[in-house]
Amino acid sequence: MKAGDLLELAGRNLRESILRNSLTTAGISIGVASLLTTVALGIGLQELANRHIGQSGLFDTVYVTSMQDGRGGPDDDAEQPKPKQGAAPAKVLDENARQLVSQVPGVSSVDPEVRFMGDVRTGTVTANAPVGGEVTSSTPATSTPEAAPSVTPNAASAPAPDASHATFVAALPMSSRRDEAFENMKGHYFSRATAAEAIVSNRFAKEVDEKTPGSIVGKTITVQFASREPLPGSTSGGFSVVRKNETVTVVGLIESEPFGGMRRISGAGIFVPTAITEGWNVLQTSDFRGVATDADAQKTYPALLVQVATAGKVPEVQEAIKKLGFRTFSILDATKGLRRFFGILDIFLGIFGSLALIVASLAIINTLIMSVLERTREIGIMKAIGASDGDVKTLFFTEAGAMGLVGGFFGVLLGLGIGALINFGTNLYLTQHHESPDQVWSSPWWLVLFVMAFSIGLSFIAGLYPAARAAKLDPVQALRYE
Amino acid sequence: MTDPALAICTDRASRHHQLGNTTIRALDEVSISIPRGEFASLLGPSGSGKSTLLNLLAGLDRPTSGAITVLDKDLAKMTSEELAVYRRLTVGMVFQSFNLISSMTVAENVELPLRFAETPRESRAARVKEALDRVELGHRAGHRPTELSGGEQQRCSIARALINHPTILLADEPTGNLDSRTGSEIMTVLDRLNREMGMTILMVTHERAIAERWSQRMIFMADGQFVSEARTQNEARTQNAARTEAQA
Repeated sequence: MKAGDLLELAGRNLRESILRNSLTTAGISIGVASLLTTVALGIGLQELANRHIGQSGLFDTVYVTSMQDGRGGPDDDAEQPKPKQGAAPAKVLDENARQLVSQVPGVSSVDPEVRFMGDVRTGTVTANAPVGGEVTSSTPATSTPEAAPSVTPNAASAPAPDASHATFVAALPMSSRRDEAFENMKGHYFSRATAAEAIVSNRFAKEVDEKTPGSIVGKTITVQFASREPLPGSTSGGFSVVRKNETVTVVGLIESEPFGGMRRISGAGIFVPTAITEGWNVLQTSDFRGVATDADAQKTYPALLVQVATAGKVPEVQEAIKKLGFRTFSILDATKGLRRFFGILDIFLGIFGSLALIVASLAIINTLIMSVLERTREIGIMKAIGASDGDVKTLFFTEAGAMGLVGGFFGVLLGLGIGALINFGTNLYLTQHHESPDQVWSSPWWLVLFVMAFSIGLSFIAGLYPAARAAKLDPVQALRYE
Repeated sequence: MTDPALAICTDRASRHHQLGNTTIRALDEVSISIPRGEFASLLGPSGSGKSTLLNLLAGLDRPTSGAITVLDKDLAKMTSEELAVYRRLTVGMVFQSFNLISSMTVAENVELPLRFAETPRESRAARVKEALDRVELGHRAGHRPTELSGGEQQRCSIARALINHPTILLADEPTGNLDSRTGSEIMTVLDRLNREMGMTILMVTHERAIAERWSQRMIFMADGQFVSEARTQNEARTQNAARTEAQA
């Protein structure tokens, strides 16, 4: 029988029991909608996670730490080189290491990650001093620390021109400008790498002036922090800790944390250019470790941020840096586990979503068996006037497939509607809680096609038994059937 | 190889059914021959095997043993698909209870065998019209079977049987559900098909009077076996029909 005739006869037969077939088709629609909704929710959540990870700017970045930094965490996996017992001491992240890493092919820039606790005042403070004393500084971004022979606490300190605010200060390279946290900021990003400028977080600005946090932009602030200074004439590798003041101008205010708050710099209230912090000699935790482990007590970095020319070169750059004896971490490492998790989640969501469709396919079997019983005589007539077993089988297959196709189509529409409702409801909730709207439900085109194909395929499978039963009917018996 | 002048030839054809330990011999070694262009009647009481033989000749059933040859084709050796093609193109069937599909119109019922034969859509309407006109039912083409009288339904059934231009028409008590006047109308149609088109017709009937009046030969059966046969006064027409075919 030709395809046109087959479709025409199948359509006619389906219309004959329109209520029963519509209910079965509605069941398929609900099954398809359920499958589409649950799997698309899994995909949406995965995309949401990827988006937030992507905001960390780590897709083309490798995070390098010293092997001395042997704490657990995402970078502490089996693939990382481990310090060997009795081997030479682990390499420290000093200026030499930075130079070595910057020579790795594919690396475009290497910046130290700087984060330290600072005491911030609005206005200018004219003092830099060792802890216990003071050193003056008259121009922004420059300092004249006074050497102190030792770390000696002293209760005396300069009177504050304004209330002080303790906060973390973090350094950002110029390349961080592309992060979306700076897209709609009040003010602008650092005008140049060595500019004595700062960007403050909205949280910090509110701490300074709760009513008009935006008014901080354009003002001058003084950051007071602990700086390391070499001990004059010392050969023991020690250094003194000096209190230092640096004055910068606030040029921008950001609402959200850079890089989705996923880096070590998260929680910082003030951001300054990386280049100027290098001249500040900020005391970092790695310096104390340097005193304990390194005879020279040279300046070290807690971590290096390696910018790779293209994201595709990240694995080979990571491998090369590992060979230099450092630990590395990139977004690829983070997303490996995440992809596995969402893969499993998608499978489970798909299984639960398919249950309704499997129930619907049982309804197809039931409907078609009923149809075979009701149309037994008709099948006998068709065979008597020349229909082959194959014609009868194909006719029932087509009816099953048509139910799957129509049910799949309306199921997809229903699923897309439910998905839109999920996104609308989620965004309503987020907006009410002063969060930026986001998309938690995402249905790619391939999923829609897959669900449609799955619906039709399952309907064909459901039609196997009834179609075979109809085809096997003895025409003589079928013609006698009342 | 059978006689080419024969349309139907059965050689010790049997159809047995197993019911538990009992073997029911619905048809038991029946051997009959029907020449091309003959209008023959099968007569006998209920359970004599008439309809069983007709179903075997229609290719709806297969013999348990023996041979059934129709137009030089051994039906027992045909595959299921070949039998479907045989039913589609070689034989037409008319039933006592008409067996029309109630959800389809008269024209759609008549067109149905053309769909299975994959006849091009553009030529179907003309062929349906021709078949309906032949049985004088053209004016009822758009009606449903339930809107027709018994005679009209049977004429529709005949039109459907004729649509693929079969060589043989098998009729299973075509007047069984009709009053005598309507039955006569149907028999007139069958007679015309036999006389004008030279169609071989084998009709099962209970009524000897109808068989004597319209057919040329009567074959009597009882208990699944061939009993006897008798020529009717219409025999001369057989020779005429054979002559017509030979000339063609």
